[in-house]
Amino acid sequence: MRYLIGIGNYTGFDDSIGLRVAEVVGEAGLDVGFRAIDLGGNILDLLHYIGEDAEQVLIVDSARMGLEPGAHAFFAPDAVETRKELAGFSSHEGDLVKVLEFAAALGGPLAPITILGIEPDEIRAEVGLSATLERRMDEYVAAAVAFFGESQA
Amino acid sequence: MQRNVNIDVHHLTRVEGHGNIVVNVTDGVIEKCEWQVPEAPRFFEAMVRGRHYTEVARITSRICGICSVGHTLASVKATEAALGIEVTPQTKKLRTLLKHAENFDSHVLHVYVLVAPDLLGAQSAFALVPTHGEVVARALRLKRLGHEWGSLIGGRTTHPTTVVPGGFSKLPTVAELKALREKIVAAVPDLTATLETVAALAPAIPAFDRPTEYMAVSSDDEYGMYDGYVQTILSDGDRAKYAVADYRSCTNEYVAPQSTAKFCRNRLDSYAAGALARFNVNYDQLHPEAKKVAESLGMQPICTNPYMNSVAQVVEVVHSAYEGLRLLDELIAEGIKDEGLVAPTKYATGASAVEVPRGILFHEYTYDADGFCTGADCIIPTGQNHANIQRDFDALLPGLLASEKSEDEMRLAFEMLVRAYDPCISCSTHYVDVTFVR
Repeated sequence: MRYLIGIGNYTGFDDSIGLRVAEVVGEAGLDVGFRAIDLGGNILDLLHYIGEDAEQVLIVDSARMGLEPGAHAFFAPDAVETRKELAGFSSHEGDLVKVLEFAAALGGPLAPITILGIEPDEIRAEVGLSATLERRMDEYVAAAVAFFGESQA
Repeated sequence: MQRNVNIDVHHLTRVEGHGNIVVNVTDGVIEKCEWQVPEAPRFFEAMVRGRHYTEVARITSRICGICSVGHTLASVKATEAALGIEVTPQTKKLRTLLKHAENFDSHVLHVYVLVAPDLLGAQSAFALVPTHGEVVARALRLKRLGHEWGSLIGGRTTHPTTVVPGGFSKLPTVAELKALREKIVAAVPDLTATLETVAALAPAIPAFDRPTEYMAVSSDDEYGMYDGYVQTILSDGDRAKYAVADYRSCTNEYVAPQSTAKFCRNRLDSYAAGALARFNVNYDQLHPEAKKVAESLGMQPICTNPYMNSVAQVVEVVHSAYEGLRLLDELIAEGIKDEGLVAPTKYATGASAVEVPRGILFHEYTYDADGFCTGADCIIPTGQNHANIQRDFDALLPGLLASEKSEDEMRLAFEMLVRAYDPCISCSTHYVDVTFVR
């Protein structure tokens, strides 16, 4: 199985972009040949989707990458270092990069993983998206769906 | 005895959301000893106003990524109470089965990932991989079972999609239920190994007793996970019962100066919710296998050590596994009937109570004649536990000061106490913050 997995906080404004992309892909029936999953903030559950059963995984998440707000980029987990300063390792106080490092440390086979990071304009406690990201939603959805088309070809 | 202590834990780790521990003691005088909750309100009750009853659970499920099954069930049940909907026995069984999946999954996560590092002297579960790899692998196998269990019944474990007012939008097949049953049976060796791990770690659990009031959902039919009335018990065994619709009379929310979250109280100035509270209130209805586990771990009601909440969670993991098997056997024997959704018979106000992993959860909604929400109230278990955590702090500190413990050991004692409650203060942000290295 191939997975598009949206991660984020639905009430975190632009932090919800990964969930919304997964939601739009699923509701529009664009998940052909892969399955769109809205994982919410329960990112430790990611471990259940990236093991040997999975052929390929695209994780869509809000990502501060130093790009212009609204810009998006595909990257492999080992292409980045996290800047998040979390002393612990929790189920909510989440750091996707740390969870993926945790999965790798367990030693089992992992599916090929790619992250589609979307640079947020604003993260705050509110339902919704900034106008910057809302305006470009079609672009993110198209990029995510094309990823699976291209990787299949 | 320590004469001067300064503990300032800003944003305690391995809990959900943000909470601070502040302790100041100068020349033996306690100046401050506080559990502070600085989280901003998130206004879910306002968000659902104006929404149709078919949309409300989908929104309130987002209150929590860990307890989203519980919030969905509480929301749907409150809506059904308001709309005069009586669901079928099959729906009740499937929802109870789903509730057990959530508790199983969440308790495994809490005990293995959030509590075990304290008992093993590690900073996080990450640090346990090189030294206790099999324990971590076992935790993930059990967690995966909880995830697959919840996904089958709820469509997905995080923010379930199949639970809707009046029933289920999609039902599992008997073949799928049989396959799930086999997976739960296959997990018994991992459950046994879990008990051995917990028994080995139990001596590291602090000895600290503070009697309080314990509140849980109770039912004449079951341990009280999915449905019933509200019951509390004091340490002397004195019980009190409340109708769910009267939940405000036993929660009594009030504003505390050190917290943005409201505190609660009932017959005493605080009460506890969660696995330990359920264990104390509903012990007689635990599955016999879970009772055996409790006995083997030296636990019996009324247990007044809040650190034992994590052990009560292990007892409940076993309870959920065996209750899950019992429910599956019944559903498989009866067959899955393709039932339609039960329609509303009225539009009014309704309340519900469900046990989520961290304790009793209340939802209440009012709907207008067209089925649109005009008022909502949600009281989450972590909010109900804040006052009790504070009272525990008040009782814990003098004993720590009288001991020869270092400031670091005291800090750990406070942190472990808060983590024992498995607090879920809020959903925090999950964005990635990275630098490209190639």
